[in-house]
Amino acid sequence: MRNLFAAIVALLALFPAAGAEEAREVIRRAVLGKDEAAQAAVLNELMGRADDVIQPLLDAWRKDRIFLHAAPGAAPSPVLLVGDKDAKRSQKAVILATGLPLRDAAGQEVRLVADELETAPHSANLRRVMKAVLDLTDLSSPIAAKRQAAIAAIGQAQQSEKLPVLERRLKTEADPKVVKALREAVALIRLKSKEAAVKADALRELADLKSLASTDFIKTAIKEAESANDAQLLAAGVDALKAVNTHRGFVDFGGTIFRSLSLGSILLIVALGLAITFGLMGVINMAHGEMIAIGAYTTYVVQNLFGSGLALSPFGWSLSLPGLHATGWLQESYFLFALPLSFLAAACAGVLLERSVIRFLYRRPLESLLATWGVSLLLQQLLRLTFGANNVQVGSPAYLSGNWVVGDILLGWNRVFVIGFAAVVVLGVWLVLTRTPLGLLIRSVTQNRAMASCMGVRTERVNTLTFALGSGLAGLAGAFLSQIGNVGPSLGQSYIVDSFMVVVVGGVGNLVGTVVSGIGIGSFDQFVQQYSPSVAGALANVPVVGGFLQNLAQDSAVFGKILVLCAIILFLQWRPSGLFAARSRSLD
Amino acid sequence: MKKPSNRVLAACALALASLVAPAKAQDTVKVGVLHSLSGTMAISETSLRDVLLFTFDEINAKGGVLGRKIEPVVVDGASNWPLFAEKSKQLLEQDKVAVTFGCWTSVSRKSCLPVFEKNNGLLFYPVQYEGEEESPNVAYTAEAVNQQATPAVDYLLAQGVKKFYLLGSDYVYPQTTNLVLLEYLLSKGVPIENIGGGFRKDASGKIISAGKYTPFGHTDYQQIVAEIKQFSSGGGAAVVSTLNGDTNVPFFKEYAASGLTAETCPVVSFSISEDEFRGLPADKLVGQLGCWTYFQTIKSPANAKFIADFQAWLAKSTVPGIVKDGRVTCSPMVLSYNGVYLWKACVEKAGSFEVDKVRAAWKSGVSFDGPGGKVTTQPNMHLTKNVFIGETKADGQFKILKSYVNVFGEPWLMGKFKYDFRSTVILGRVGGPGRARPLH
Repeated sequence: MRNLFAAIVALLALFPAAGAEEAREVIRRAVLGKDEAAQAAVLNELMGRADDVIQPLLDAWRKDRIFLHAAPGAAPSPVLLVGDKDAKRSQKAVILATGLPLRDAAGQEVRLVADELETAPHSANLRRVMKAVLDLTDLSSPIAAKRQAAIAAIGQAQQSEKLPVLERRLKTEADPKVVKALREAVALIRLKSKEAAVKADALRELADLKSLASTDFIKTAIKEAESANDAQLLAAGVDALKAVNTHRGFVDFGGTIFRSLSLGSILLIVALGLAITFGLMGVINMAHGEMIAIGAYTTYVVQNLFGSGLALSPFGWSLSLPGLHATGWLQESYFLFALPLSFLAAACAGVLLERSVIRFLYRRPLESLLATWGVSLLLQQLLRLTFGANNVQVGSPAYLSGNWVVGDILLGWNRVFVIGFAAVVVLGVWLVLTRTPLGLLIRSVTQNRAMASCMGVRTERVNTLTFALGSGLAGLAGAFLSQIGNVGPSLGQSYIVDSFMVVVVGGVGNLVGTVVSGIGIGSFDQFVQQYSPSVAGALANVPVVGGFLQNLAQDSAVFGKILVLCAIILFLQWRPSGLFAARSRSLD
Repeated sequence: MKKPSNRVLAACALALASLVAPAKAQDTVKVGVLHSLSGTMAISETSLRDVLLFTFDEINAKGGVLGRKIEPVVVDGASNWPLFAEKSKQLLEQDKVAVTFGCWTSVSRKSCLPVFEKNNGLLFYPVQYEGEEESPNVAYTAEAVNQQATPAVDYLLAQGVKKFYLLGSDYVYPQTTNLVLLEYLLSKGVPIENIGGGFRKDASGKIISAGKYTPFGHTDYQQIVAEIKQFSSGGGAAVVSTLNGDTNVPFFKEYAASGLTAETCPVVSFSISEDEFRGLPADKLVGQLGCWTYFQTIKSPANAKFIADFQAWLAKSTVPGIVKDGRVTCSPMVLSYNGVYLWKACVEKAGSFEVDKVRAAWKSGVSFDGPGGKVTTQPNMHLTKNVFIGETKADGQFKILKSYVNVFGEPWLMGKFKYDFRSTVILGRVGGPGRARPLH
C-alpha cells in the first residue's frame, strides 16, 4: 500500500501535469508560511481547484511525508522523499514546488534520510483547512461515503459561500444518502441567513429530515428567535427540535436493542464453553477464563505468523517464529485461520488439563474448584512468562473495523459479526449435541454416568472429549474477544465471573438456558445503561437513599452492573436452579 | 581427601566476607523504592522502578550523594493500596530510609501519606495527579492539574473546540480533575450544556462530580461511544479522557469502529504516555492528543543522552525479570529521574540527609536540567516545569505541537476560576465567584 502510494507520488513528481505547477507552488508557499494564520490563508487559495496533485500532496503533508531540506547556505525548501530506501535508508528527494528531482551543485541527484530531516509542521487547524480543501475535491468523489462526509463538514461549518456548489450538486446527485446529506447541509447553511422566512424554511426542512446532527444548530436558532421575539420562528424551531428528539428516541431504542444483542452474544460466547464443562459435566472450572486467554493469544500468534514473525522468550529460552510477511487480503484473512486454531489450541489445553487433573476429581466439586483455580493461576503465570506481563496488540482486519449506519443507528461490523458468530456457534454446538454420535454419548454420560458405563460407553474418553469441546469453545470466545478488548495474561479473570453468572442464571446443565440468560443479562445491562440517566430525576424521590441513587444512576455503566447483580441475586432466591432447571439423576 | 591449605581457607573467608558486607553502612545511604511490581499497576510502575535503579547506578558511578553510595531498598506495593501504607511503614521504621521514591495512583499516595507524616519521612511522587493536597512530607515532582489538564483544554479551545465530553476511570484523580476542569471550562465561557458526561449533585444542588466514569477494567464502551457519537454529531467536540490503564483499549477500539476520528472528535488523554502505548493499538490512536511535561521525541542533547544511557543500562542490567525489548521513556519516568537528582541537589545544598534540612533546601528553590528541560523546586513542594502538547503517531511516539515554558505547579485550583453568576448557581456557589488568584 505504502509502496503504491510512493509510486503514485513518484509518478506525479516526475511527470508534472501541465498547469500543475501552480498548485504545487501554492502548497510550497503554504508549507513555508510564517505562521498558522498565513498558512491557512494560502491553503484557502486552493479551495475549489480541481488539480490532481492537490490530493496526494496535501495527504503527504498531513502524514508527515513532506520534509524541510536546507542546502548549505540556503533557506529551507520543502521536499518529498520517493522510491525505496537503500542500505543507508536514504531515498530520492523531489522538490515540492517543481516535482523535479533535487540536484546538488554538481547536478547529481540528492538522496536524503527521512529520520534526519525536519518534517513540515502542521496543526489540527491547518489539517482542518486541508480537509476543507479536499472536501470540495471530495464532492465529486466517486465514493458516496466520501461525498457524504465532505458535504456534512461543509454544512456543519455553515459556509455560505459554498451554498451554490451544494445546490448544483443536489440537482445531479442520485445516491439517496448523499441527497439527504446535501439537503441537511443546505438547510444548515440557510439557518445562518438573516431573513426569518429562509430560516423558518430551513428549520422545517431539518424537521422533515429528522437530522440529529443539527440539534445544536436548532437550539441556537431557538435562542436567537427568543431574543429577537419572533414567535413564528420560535414555533418552527420548537417543532424542529421536537421532531429531531422524537427521532432520537427511536434511534436510541434501536441502538440499545442492537447493543443488547451484541453484549448478550459476547456473554453467550464466553459462557458457552463453561455451560458444557460446568453445566453438563459438573466441573466447577475456574480455569475457564484461561482457556479464553489461550484462544486470544493463539489469535495473536497467528496474526504475527502472517505478519513479521514473533520472538518469544519463555523461561529465558529465546524462540523465534518466522513470519509469512503476508500483505493485503492474505494478511487480513489471518483472523479466519485464527478461529479454528484457537479452538484447537484451547481444546488441546483442555485435554491436557482433563487428563492430568480433572479426571481424578469428578465426584469432588470442592476439590475440582480449588484445583482448577490453582491451574488458572499457573496458566496465567505461564502466559506472563511466555508473552510478557504487558498486553499484546491484536489488530482488527478491515472487514471487522467499519460500520453500517441504518436509519441513524450505528451497527459496527465487529458487533454484527459477534451476533452472527454467536448464532453459528450455538447452532453448531446444538447440532453436535443432538445430531452426532459424540453428542449422544456426551448426553448419556452427563445424564447417568454409571448407566452409560454399564452400556459399554467409554466414559473416560467421552469425558475428555466433552471437556475438550468446552475448552475449545472458550478458545473461540478468546479469538473473538481479541477483536474488541485487551489481550493480556489476566484476560480470563475479567470474564470468569460473567461466565458463571450466565450459566448459573440459565440453569446448570441446559444450553437453552445459557442462551436465554446471556441475551437477557446483556439486554438488561444495556437498557439500564441507556435509560438510567433519564430516570435519575425520578429516583431522587425514593426516601432516604434518593440522592444517592440519583447520582449512582448517572454513572450508567456502574449502575448497570450493580442492578444486574442485584437482579440475579433476587432471581436466584426465587429460582435457585436457574431459568431452566435440568433434571438429571447425576445432578440430584 | 587432601586437606585444603590455610591460604585457600583464608581466601575463601575473605571472599565470603566481601559477599556478606559489600560496603560498610556509613558508606551508603538507604533509599526506598515503593512501586507495584505485581498486580494491575505493575505494567506502568515497573518502568519507574527500572528508571530509579538506573538513576541510582548513574549517581553511584559518579561518587554517590555526599560521598555516600545510594543503596536502594525495593519493596512491592502489589497494586494493593493498604499494603502501600504497610510497606512505607517498613521502609521508614525498619529500614530507616533517607527518602522514598514511589506510588503511582493517587489512592496509593493517599494511603501511605499518614505514615510519612507520622514518621516525618519524605516521599517523591512522580505521576500526574489531581492537586488539592500539599503535604510537607511529599515532594510532588508530578504534573499538577495546571501543568497538564488546563493547558490541554487551552489548546483545544484555541483549535476551535466548543464541546467537551469528560470521561474517566472512577477514582479520586479523574473525579477531582474533572471538577476542576468543569470550573475552568465555565470560566472560559463554555456553557454548561456543552459539557458532556453528566453531573452528580448533592442535596443542595451543588455539582459534586462531573463527567462519565467507568470502573477499572471496564470492557463494554458501546453505549458511551454511542453517546459521544451523538454528542459530537454537530461538530466542534472533543473528549477529555482520564481513563486509566488498559480500559483504553476497548474504548479506542469501539471509538474507531463507530467511525469517530481524531479530525471529527479528538480525544485528549491524560493517562496515556509512551510507556502505555506498548500495550495499546497505536495505529488506532493516530492524531489523538496527549499532554505531559516530557515526550521521548523532545530534541535536546540532555534527552538524547538520557535515552541512550537508559537503553545502555537496560542492555547490561541484571535485575531479575526486567524487560529489555521495545522499551521507551515517558513523563512519569523522567519525573522519577528528575526527582532523584533534585533530592541529590537538595541534600548537597543542605549538607545533610535529614528530612527537615532537605525540605528547607527544596523550599529555597533548587534547579535541575532534566531530559524535558529545566525543572525548579517551589516552596509549595511542587515543581516549575515545561509542558508539552503532543499528537500520537503510528509508532506510539508523540509529535510535539505546542509547548508552554516554566509552568508554575499550582495544587490548589478548586474555586480559583471566575465564571459568570448563572453558572455559579448551577455549581451551588451562590456566594458569587470563587476568589480569583492569578496563576503564575
